[in-house]
Amino acid sequence: MKIFSISVILAPSQGSSTTLASASDLSSFSFYQKGSVGEFMTFFSKTVAERTQPGQRQSVQENNYTAHAYNRGGPEQLAGVIICDDEYPVRPAFSLLTKLLDDFASKVPQSSFSNPSAILFPEINTFITKYQDPSQADTIMRVQQELDETKIILHKTIEGVLQRGEKLDNLVDRSQQLSAQSKMFYKTAKKQNSCCVIM
Amino acid sequence: MPIQDRTNEFKACVDSITSRSSFPNRRGEHKQKLLNGKAGSSKSEFSRMATAIGKDISSTNLKLNKLTQLAKRKTLFDDRPVEISELTFIIKQDIANLNKQIASLRSYVKQQNHKGSTSAEGKQLEEHTQNVVMLLQSKLASTSMTFKDVLELRTQNMKESKDRTEQFMSTTSSAVQQPPSNSILFNPRGDPMGDGSPSRFDSKGKRPAYENGDVLALNLESAEEGAQQHQNGNGFMQMQLMEQQDTYLQSRSTAIESIESTIAELGQIFTQLANMVAEQRETVQRIDADVMDIQSNVGGAQRELLKYYASISSNRWLMLKIFGVLIVFFLIFILVSG
Repeated sequence: MKIFSISVILAPSQGSSTTLASASDLSSFSFYQKGSVGEFMTFFSKTVAERTQPGQRQSVQENNYTAHAYNRGGPEQLAGVIICDDEYPVRPAFSLLTKLLDDFASKVPQSSFSNPSAILFPEINTFITKYQDPSQADTIMRVQQELDETKIILHKTIEGVLQRGEKLDNLVDRSQQLSAQSKMFYKTAKKQNSCCVIM
Repeated sequence: MPIQDRTNEFKACVDSITSRSSFPNRRGEHKQKLLNGKAGSSKSEFSRMATAIGKDISSTNLKLNKLTQLAKRKTLFDDRPVEISELTFIIKQDIANLNKQIASLRSYVKQQNHKGSTSAEGKQLEEHTQNVVMLLQSKLASTSMTFKDVLELRTQNMKESKDRTEQFMSTTSSAVQQPPSNSILFNPRGDPMGDGSPSRFDSKGKRPAYENGDVLALNLESAEEGAQQHQNGNGFMQMQLMEQQDTYLQSRSTAIESIESTIAELGQIFTQLANMVAEQRETVQRIDADVMDIQSNVGGAQRELLKYYASISSNRWLMLKIFGVLIVFFLIFILVSG
């Protein structure tokens, strides 16, 4: 499950779009392919962003890459595109995009949109590295994972409690036996005291 | 209605009556037995058929109950049409079978009545068989009424679910049938990298040079193709986009539902755990009580032994005295005897 590239694109409803920030992880390609793959990713992202209506989410399949695009529209007319492989689950991809766009919109003022090269958004790199694992990106998935872990722990606890129950039963039996024996002991001692008073 | 089997009681009654009336009238009894034998066999034939029909009716009722349960489910997605239609078919066949069986039973009864005697016993027999047949027919009629109701309920539910499906997913079936060609960037040619790419980047941003002539991609351009085609393409695109929105939202809602169920499960596990620990509390209390008993017993025994020891050690002088007295007596005895 890999993310190949993430990009934030300014996508006005008319006219062309411009990439505002992007990060890509092309480590899985050979050295000679990296250049062309990178260009392809950029072009792909731009085209998909242009073709996505404001307020819509879209997934496009291309050979073995899938691009998920979310055009947020709004006053900034931002759109986010993520290119990943087929295995990456769809829903966390979109929630990742939503988070990315919100982050971007809060950090970068709208005035600098016209000057793409001047935009500094280093968080996008952290996005791509951190969120190779989809459960990190999506709170829902993370909650589900944690819940599953908790369930496993609880199952082990219940097994422990069962064993404790067995040991307690064991203890009860033994203590009952001990109690009977000590009673016999007491009686014998008493008998000895009362019986041989002759001497 | 639970059917009670009181054949044994009946047999006991018959035996007692025959034994009572057997002594004065042996020959009549033989004749009666013969008669009973024949009529009994025909009666038992009739009762066999009637019981078979009754059993079939009850099994059909069971199946009908199952069908009712299935048909009552108003879920949108978990419908099981194959099972329901199979069950309906089976029940229909069963009802037809039962009808035939009851008709044959009735004709059999009529045959018997034509053959039978006009004695009081025969008339009673005739009445009894008629009643049994009426009972079976009424049961069958009620079963088929229930069946009809269930079918009506089922059609109603299907209509409702279809309405709801249309409400949620505004796609018509025709749009759903062609997703691949509707996708904006449907590119059946392979290789995005390598030789294809340079030509692409030469073209302008909005018009990639697809050699396949993907119709809808071209339709998305604004003024070239003419308004109608453009609108159709837009319409399709809209529906598919909304479908995707819906899919996204649906997947979110399913994920959240699964989280909710997991949390509920966790809650149950916690309550189970608490129960088990509470049960074990009793055991622990028993162990505690036992151990206290052991302590007191052992303490008491120790006291006794100490007392014994004390008495032993203090009694030594008395013992010496007693021994001395015994030895004195012994000597006296020896002296007296010697």
